[in-house]
Amino acid sequence: MERAASMQVRPEETVAEFVGASKRYGEVLAADRIDLRIRRGEFLSFLGPSGCGKTTALRMLAGFESPTGGAVLIDGRDVGAIPAYRRPVNMVFQHYALFPHMTVAENVGYGLRQRRPRMARREIAEKVEKALATVRLDAFGPRRIWEMSGGQQQRVALARAIVNEPKILLLDEPMAALDAKLRGEMQRELLDLQRSLGITFVLVTHDQEEALAMSDRICIMGKGRIAQIGSPQELYDRPANRYVADFVGKANILSAQIASREGGLAQAVLGNGAAVTVADAPGAAATEAEIAVRPEALSLAAAGAPLPEGMTALPARVTHRTFLGDHTEYLLEAPRVGALQVNVPRQAERAAGGHGMGAEVHVLWPAGAGLVLAAG
Amino acid sequence: MAMTRSRARALLLTPAGLWYAAMLLMPLAVVLIFSFGERSQIGGYAPGFTLEQYANLPARFAAFRNTLTLAPLGTLASLLIAYPLAYYLAVKVSPKWKTMLLVLVIVPFWTSILIRSYAWIFLLGGKGIPALLAMAGLEDVRLLNTPFAVLVGIVYGYLPLMVFPIYVALEKLDKRLLEAAADLGTPPWRAFVQITLPLSMPGVLTGSMLVFILLMGEFLIPSILGGGKVFFVGNALVDLFLQSRNWPFGSAVAVGLVVVMLVVVGLYTRAAKRFGVGRDDAALM
Amino acid sequence: MKDDHKPISRKAFMDELARYRKGSVTRRHFLGVTGLGTAMAVMGGTLPRMARAQDIGNRVVLATWPNYHDPADFDAFTDATGAYTQVNVFGSNEEMLAKIQAGGSGWDVFVPTNYAIPTYVEAGLIEPLDLSKIPNYDPASYDPRFAEAGTIDGTVYGVPKNWGTTGIAFNSDKTGGVVDSWKTFFDGARDQFDGRVMVHDYQLTTIGNALVYHGFSFNSVDPAELAKAEELLIDVKPHLYAISSDYQPAMRNGDAWLTMCWTGDGKQMNTDMPEIGFALGKEGGEIWSDYYAIPKDAPHKEAAYALINFLLDPEVNAREALAHGYPVADSRTNALLPQELLDDPIIYPAAEALSPLEFGAAVTLTDPNRAELMARFKSA
Repeated sequence: MERAASMQVRPEETVAEFVGASKRYGEVLAADRIDLRIRRGEFLSFLGPSGCGKTTALRMLAGFESPTGGAVLIDGRDVGAIPAYRRPVNMVFQHYALFPHMTVAENVGYGLRQRRPRMARREIAEKVEKALATVRLDAFGPRRIWEMSGGQQQRVALARAIVNEPKILLLDEPMAALDAKLRGEMQRELLDLQRSLGITFVLVTHDQEEALAMSDRICIMGKGRIAQIGSPQELYDRPANRYVADFVGKANILSAQIASREGGLAQAVLGNGAAVTVADAPGAAATEAEIAVRPEALSLAAAGAPLPEGMTALPARVTHRTFLGDHTEYLLEAPRVGALQVNVPRQAERAAGGHGMGAEVHVLWPAGAGLVLAAG
Repeated sequence: MAMTRSRARALLLTPAGLWYAAMLLMPLAVVLIFSFGERSQIGGYAPGFTLEQYANLPARFAAFRNTLTLAPLGTLASLLIAYPLAYYLAVKVSPKWKTMLLVLVIVPFWTSILIRSYAWIFLLGGKGIPALLAMAGLEDVRLLNTPFAVLVGIVYGYLPLMVFPIYVALEKLDKRLLEAAADLGTPPWRAFVQITLPLSMPGVLTGSMLVFILLMGEFLIPSILGGGKVFFVGNALVDLFLQSRNWPFGSAVAVGLVVVMLVVVGLYTRAAKRFGVGRDDAALM
Repeated sequence: MKDDHKPISRKAFMDELARYRKGSVTRRHFLGVTGLGTAMAVMGGTLPRMARAQDIGNRVVLATWPNYHDPADFDAFTDATGAYTQVNVFGSNEEMLAKIQAGGSGWDVFVPTNYAIPTYVEAGLIEPLDLSKIPNYDPASYDPRFAEAGTIDGTVYGVPKNWGTTGIAFNSDKTGGVVDSWKTFFDGARDQFDGRVMVHDYQLTTIGNALVYHGFSFNSVDPAELAKAEELLIDVKPHLYAISSDYQPAMRNGDAWLTMCWTGDGKQMNTDMPEIGFALGKEGGEIWSDYYAIPKDAPHKEAAYALINFLLDPEVNAREALAHGYPVADSRTNALLPQELLDDPIIYPAAEALSPLEFGAAVTLTDPNRAELMARFKSA
């Protein structure tokens, strides 16, 4: 929240921009007319399944691919003709791509040694030392790469990139090779690092939790195109379409008839005739629509229990119940509506009591929960 | 427990030990014993103990000098020609053509080096390349039966042995390292010097070692393309064993060759280590 | 095929021989036209004394010199006896001796030169021949000059194969005429023929002819005389085209103009390229004779006798001579050869040209100084 606030100090400043950028390999369109402004100092993630074009976008920014259509701008300048080695960006590679014939310190200082005119040896040494300290590898300079663990190699790769003080730090699935515990640690460290350096970070990941946890903004991609850009909250609360709703968090997606629209709200009639009030999609007009609702937005009540104000009740039967500690996940079958997932917080369940397998219950849908999904 | 284990180990090692004894140590021992003997009346070996053969080694100084000049030179020339070829095959060629081009590199190996070297007699002889040079105004260029011809034959004959180790080293080189170098501000040619070259050194080292060691014992190419005038230690050995039948002296020369080879290879390995090659093999695997 | 039995004219024979050599007719055609095929066929069917296959085994191993046989004759031998001839080719008597000395050569028949035989006898490496098993060898029909070296202390160890000389082959287009002295040969090598002269990779002839240049005996083992020869050779070496016994390719393509040369090679080059002549050094040089012999440890001795006997059959011997161009000492064989061949000055030089020549002496083969001199010359 405080990060979002600091962003608003200079919201207009753009460090890099994709202008209708496309990349075609023969028949395959890996990136399809991408339009995107990357704000200075933000943490932006490209999120999507493999083959969605997120890596292509990153590589166009790095200079390893040049767009076959449109343009990529860095600091307002078209970098189409500028090779990778002259771009003010640095990358942390997926498998780190550390130089095996150099020590840790030599790896970290590599980029500085490429500077022309040459940087003083002592200055390089100082910067390397500082960078290693930043990633908490102070004493590891003389080590060989293969003497380092996976997590340590990851830090070396990070130090090797940030020591150059790039305009943008590119991270290509940097945590894919780490185990879950280490990954959480690294995520926090990366966030701290970004905050202290103030460098723009662009992360490519297929892990939605990682993207949600770290990003100021997430750019969800599918089939080479941008599906939606927004803050994690926006994407979660207001997925633009079914693809996004499905990809970010869990969502119940149901077919409905829109009976009426008013003031940004829509009355949607479900298959069993029950009507629910949901947020309308901007500019939507069709009567046939898909609506989405998050599992934690719904609640459960025993059949026959009094119906609270402003709720729609859908009769359903419990098919699966999974206790997950802080909440319990219910899978239910609602006649003529379909399968539904409802997450009940531990506290609520403790208060109201649980429901066994096969129990007949009511799924309670509060007015305003859920939204109409735009087509596509 | 420990007893049976070590016994089992000894048993398992026995075939390897026997192999070494039979294939390596025994012939070497025979050569060593011969080298202290005397030439019998009609040639061959007569038992004895004399250092005369070793004292006579300077008589083959020219052969050692030629070998120690042309073997490293031939290794270097092979390397300079093989490296770009291996690089091209490993990095530049599309996979579609790769196999075919690799096979083309091996194809000459399917025929004997003797026959292939004879082909060079015609190419380097008066009616071959010198005739072409004469048409271009360079009269009376002699190529055949010169050290240059031997060098050409060496490079031609040993090229595949040099190409393949380098090719393998370059092939397994992680292309992302070059992207990383570019990302960190290195233009392609400098990335080649800083990344590709050092990381292909194990292949360069293997290929050079292989070619160099074989060249130290070479006799066929100098005898065919050197016209009997470019004389290697190998030729001296052939003469001593097959012509003058001076087995003890031949054995002494052979021992001398082995010693020289050990010294040179030892120095080479040490130099290579100092340049940081080899230590990183583990990381490359 | 119409008149197979009519003898072919000598002129026609030589024409056919030339065509056969050039490969424009097949061996079958050649043998058929010349009548040699008939002779062969007749022989194959009428060799009552020839041992049958099961008696001699199915294999015989022959160690001999390059371009010294007609492969068709080995086929005929196989047809007649069932034994297949495996041919190993060698470059020097030294090399042959080294192989036999090492033991287990596996050879049944080999072809030592006159001067090598005493060494084999002395070392006990050679089998005394049972002449009753070689009925085709008729000592009376042989010129004793080319047969006597096979007999040592009354025991016959070798029967004559061919004889010949070591002279000078020259390309007269380049040398501007005949070169018939070792003086011109070695002096020219350092002067007008610089880079165009070849000497044998063979101590006997290379050292021998250098000795002859200085007026010494071809066979000298006198250290002072050898020192003079070495001096000459070392001085000449940088000017040589090559030290090699494989001189035909270089002579034929014009890279070399002058070479030490054996009779048969001289004849072969002269036939194809008339500008290449062959002359004997007028100061002297080598005359030699080769012998069929059997190593002591020959694994197939019966087959060895059968092969020698077969090859000494005058009909077969004549075909061999036609193939390799070396003279034969057997008058029965010569009677079958065309007159052109017998009149050829390269193959059968005039008696006075032969008179200064020397047969190699046994001592040259084993003399350590000559061996070491040659090795020093080559490695210099």
